[in-house]
Amino acid sequence: MTSILKRFTNVAVAALVVAGSASLAFAADKEITFSGSGGVVGEVSKEVWFGPFEKDTGIKINHVAAEAKRMPQLEAMVKSGNVLWDAMEVSASDYPLGVKKDLFEAIDYSVVDPENKLPTDTREKFGVAYAAYSQVLIVRTDKLPEGKKMESWADFWDVKNFPGPRALRGRAEDNLEYALLADGVPAEDLYKVLSTEEGLDRAFAKMDEIKPHITTWWTSGAQSVQLLSDGEVYFCPSYNGRITTLVSSGIPAEIVWNGGAMHKSYIAIPKGTKHLKEAEEYVKYRTTNADHMREYVTHLPYPGWAPGLFEGMDQALAASMPTYPQNQAVQFAASAEFWAENLDAIQERWTEWLLK
Amino acid sequence: MNAEKKITSTWLLWPALFMLVAFFLVPTLDILRASFFDPEFTTKHFVKLLGSSVYLDVLWRTIKLSIVVSLICAVIGYPISYFIVQRPRKQQIFFLFLIFIPLWMSVLIRSYAWMVVLGREGLFNSILIGLGITDQPVKMLFTTGAVYVAMVQILLPIQIVTCYSAMSEIDLDLIRAARILGAKPWQAIRRVFLPLTLDGTVTGAIIVFMLSMGFFITPALVGGRKDIMMANLIEFQVNQLNWGFAAAISIILLIGTVLSVIIIKRLSKILTRRLVGGGNA
Repeated sequence: MTSILKRFTNVAVAALVVAGSASLAFAADKEITFSGSGGVVGEVSKEVWFGPFEKDTGIKINHVAAEAKRMPQLEAMVKSGNVLWDAMEVSASDYPLGVKKDLFEAIDYSVVDPENKLPTDTREKFGVAYAAYSQVLIVRTDKLPEGKKMESWADFWDVKNFPGPRALRGRAEDNLEYALLADGVPAEDLYKVLSTEEGLDRAFAKMDEIKPHITTWWTSGAQSVQLLSDGEVYFCPSYNGRITTLVSSGIPAEIVWNGGAMHKSYIAIPKGTKHLKEAEEYVKYRTTNADHMREYVTHLPYPGWAPGLFEGMDQALAASMPTYPQNQAVQFAASAEFWAENLDAIQERWTEWLLK
Repeated sequence: MNAEKKITSTWLLWPALFMLVAFFLVPTLDILRASFFDPEFTTKHFVKLLGSSVYLDVLWRTIKLSIVVSLICAVIGYPISYFIVQRPRKQQIFFLFLIFIPLWMSVLIRSYAWMVVLGREGLFNSILIGLGITDQPVKMLFTTGAVYVAMVQILLPIQIVTCYSAMSEIDLDLIRAARILGAKPWQAIRRVFLPLTLDGTVTGAIIVFMLSMGFFITPALVGGRKDIMMANLIEFQVNQLNWGFAAAISIILLIGTVLSVIIIKRLSKILTRRLVGGGNA
């Protein structure tokens, strides 16, 4: 039996060596592999970013549409020393995770933003914020009681004046913040309150109030849109870009910016990439090129902070952006750091709470 | 058996053995390793897991749900398989083909389809309201009942096919022989056919049970807030890069599954003995 096993191991090792060298042989010089979102985002990016980038710099982008499980894949790559991606999108909640596990190259700002034009809070050590997205309350305006308008999380919690089925996302993040806002905590104190045991209890107590009125706890953005469009629920938080899908299919829906959770998406460079310089080139292009970003947001309302982005942008379009000053002012900045620190513990309590 | 023939037959097993070792045994042992070494030997993952009520609670819910689903599948699948076995050969193929069709669709799509059927403004509610049976939509979606319906529909073909193949090996003349020897129709079925086919039914039920234990998309889409499965917890921990803890939950799930299967097997043996030996009713 052992000799059989040994032979198997030999064959397996040989197969891996062959596969490994094959992937090396294919790697071209001026090409980077980018792990980004698939679907509509991928299609638009191809047109607005990848194509022009290759034309301007001669670096070809090989786009890998990422599945949801990007971080486990990245960790496996970095640990095995076989890093297949040269640059990647990183969500707000994944960024601190990657930093903690040491999975990213430090950003060289003398290359990416030499003139220091990006806002300070977008220039992180291991990633550059390239887009803002918000989880905001979306309301089916045709299902509202006559003459009423939902304007805050307090209204969402007010089932007497705003009857109808509701949904929330099945995770603790954002929801506990919404609960505290509904309970009257000012936006700037959210994380100070949540960091204390009493504050956490207060948030869960407020969640108790709304729990019986929540039809379902969604797990993917697509699902939340489906719920709203089927009339399964009337009021439900979702990503700001999703409203486009609803409105374009003729469903009367509206974003409540007040109390929205604004998140940042980062672009980062996996540790151990073989094309560091080219990857940095792309990070720079993606975060600071205002012209392409302006074109990008006509397709998808996920703007970045490229200097001069709002200059010459259509007024109505600008007003639909999460970073538009009036919109940004009434939202809160979701704290990725807080959740990176506390998610494990809170999630356990959250699951327990859901089962109760 | 001569020596030459023996060598050939071992060789035939090699590919399967290789697959099993490389893609099942090694990864499973690796998961076991990951649950205890992080990177030094530690029992902290299991201490945390057993110290919180959540994980065992969810394990118990997962087992209960899987047992109910496999029981429903067995009860519905048995008569259907019996029906198919009794048809002429050509019709059998046609019926099996019908059973197989839903298997070509992804589980995700079938789960979404149930959302359309069971929803507030869905097919069932439209019919109920249209017929005047109710004027308010009945809540069917996002309930544990919806999870049963969707999972049974998804897993039933597997039960029927396993059950059918067990039944098709049985000589139907045995029932006739029992009748000639004086058994009443129900007796012939109960004391001859049922015991002979029970093994296939239980095998089918066990496959359905094990598949259910790993389900998570369907309960997440059509279930209520309490329909959380072990696989949901594992997925969450993997996404948080807590490999060790995820591995520990997987090991607990594996142990729970194996123990349940052993119990089911035992029970089915007792049941078979009862059926064969039990009275003259």
